[in-house]
Amino acid sequence: MTKSIRFNGIGITNGKVSGRIKLFGSSKRKIINSRTGSALDEKARLEIARKAAIKETKALEEKALKLLGEKEAQIFEIHGMLLEDEDFLDAVLEEIDKGKSAEEAVRQTAKSYGEMLKALDDEYLSARSADINDISAQIIRFLTGDVAENEENDTEPYILVASDLTPSETVKLETSKILGFVTFGGTPSSHTAILARAMGIPALVGTGTIGSIYDGEYALLNSEKGTLIISPTENEKREFEKEQSAYNKIAKEHEMYLRSIMKKPAVTRSGHKIMIYANIGSEQEIASAISNGAEGIGLLRSEFLYLSKDKYPSEDELFSAYRDIAIKMQGKRVVIRTLDIGADKQIPYFSLPKEENPALGYRAIRICLDRHELFKTQLRAILRASAYGRISIMLPMIISAEEIREAKSLLRDSMAELSTRGQEFDAKIELGIMIETPSAAIMSDILAKEVDFFSVGTNDLTQYTLAVDRQNPKVTHLCERNTEPVMRLIKIASEAIHHKGGWIGVCGEMAADLSLTQQFANIGIDELSVSVPYLLGVRGKVSECK
Amino acid sequence: MREFKHTIKDKNGLHARPAGMLASVAKTFESDIKVEAQGKEADGKRLLSLMSLGAKCGTELHFKINGKDEDVAEKALIEHCNTRLDGE
Repeated sequence: MTKSIRFNGIGITNGKVSGRIKLFGSSKRKIINSRTGSALDEKARLEIARKAAIKETKALEEKALKLLGEKEAQIFEIHGMLLEDEDFLDAVLEEIDKGKSAEEAVRQTAKSYGEMLKALDDEYLSARSADINDISAQIIRFLTGDVAENEENDTEPYILVASDLTPSETVKLETSKILGFVTFGGTPSSHTAILARAMGIPALVGTGTIGSIYDGEYALLNSEKGTLIISPTENEKREFEKEQSAYNKIAKEHEMYLRSIMKKPAVTRSGHKIMIYANIGSEQEIASAISNGAEGIGLLRSEFLYLSKDKYPSEDELFSAYRDIAIKMQGKRVVIRTLDIGADKQIPYFSLPKEENPALGYRAIRICLDRHELFKTQLRAILRASAYGRISIMLPMIISAEEIREAKSLLRDSMAELSTRGQEFDAKIELGIMIETPSAAIMSDILAKEVDFFSVGTNDLTQYTLAVDRQNPKVTHLCERNTEPVMRLIKIASEAIHHKGGWIGVCGEMAADLSLTQQFANIGIDELSVSVPYLLGVRGKVSECK
Repeated sequence: MREFKHTIKDKNGLHARPAGMLASVAKTFESDIKVEAQGKEADGKRLLSLMSLGAKCGTELHFKINGKDEDVAEKALIEHCNTRLDGE
């Protein structure tokens, strides 16, 4: 038995899984070696594939430019230039003339250029042979018709290993196939870690580079111990399985207990009822939210419909998605947060300029109140869906009553437009705001006059109150256990909205922190909205509260 | 024919991006554009050809432009070399 390879990292959410490793962005592809058509046919196939590759590269470049900045986008610019380079093309055509298939010709050309560049005795230019390989693989992918979506369908669940994942990459993952995450870099607050927590699956961050040679290898991921063992020995496997079954037994017993209390309303022993709602980012999560006892959707991140597209979704597209969610929730409340994007959560076709300080910049409601048509399209879609269930509108990043009044005026305009069209909607649709700026909490007595409910976004509220960037690993520890400042602000908001007869929920990460549940009950929080895996735990905790 | 020389100041040499930008500028002209360096000659309109020169920081590029629009091409290429090639 050969020796196993071990990587250590920081574990996120406890769990033990085993399965094959899939390196993000890599895939094993077949090459058709035998020539099927004439040289002319092969050249025509090559041209179609090359054009498709150029188009894809342009799209990737634009996307990378918006999401990651100019530096990261350069690689795609270079790929585009290489794809259009006539030397490269001529060499491929020459190989085809010699009797090779288009795939073979591309591979052969990549090989000879790769060797030529490597021979230049220049580290930078040698590294460009990797770019030649990339574009060749890309052309071959189009030649074989082996497109990414197709291959996803037949793969078994895997442990996803990546250098790190950007928000846009995480939104596109087919999460049902993922057993666990491993990222070379990243911190416990990186996007991958957040996603792992939301999915309730184990993850390991900060392992350092894991070479592509391990792609497809069998591995054991133990996030409790923070280890990834690649090609484990029989002994290691047996040990792992023992631990795994013991762990699963405990986890199962705990879940059985939680399920037993699932049907009961979440009420503290002193009789305070707290609604347990789910945070979701897509329609697919609804089934599991309901089966985990969600009494409603406390936060529907409406960005998903925008992130998955390459142009603005139409009112009808938005409407049908919201309507389906409303119908699936069968009259239970669905709180739709209006578009919450900004320089830190980019969508390419919005063409938002890069900002020095995106957290304090042009984002969320600020964009919506500036781009009226964009906002009204979403409002009309939400309104139309409100005829099919119980929908509430929630405005993010509010700092003043003026903003709420402006939004309400646009909401009235949208209603008038729908009436003119003769379309149905809930004219008394519930309207609320996120409390995620210190200003909103401090001014909550004034803001409460304008709305039906508050929902506290603790992630941003913490970041703005403590002046701590949550993506910066050097300072994130300052947030831990320092929850009192934020809790005081929530208390102010809670008193203000109750005074006006409204309700208040918490939908940020603090809502899932069971050490805070008692405090939330104490200050009169009416609703806790958490990711699906936390629903049962929070419900159980509320019933244990005083 | 027009000729001019330019010494590379970018520490990475004539790497992929500047070479690609150089090629895309060169491509806009009808004239034949050759670039010589270290005894090798490259087609100025082709990225891989330019990269295979292996030109490093301090290498002198020798441009030879020949054709109908050689005057404008020379001007544009000098401008490009001075502003973009070393600009990063």
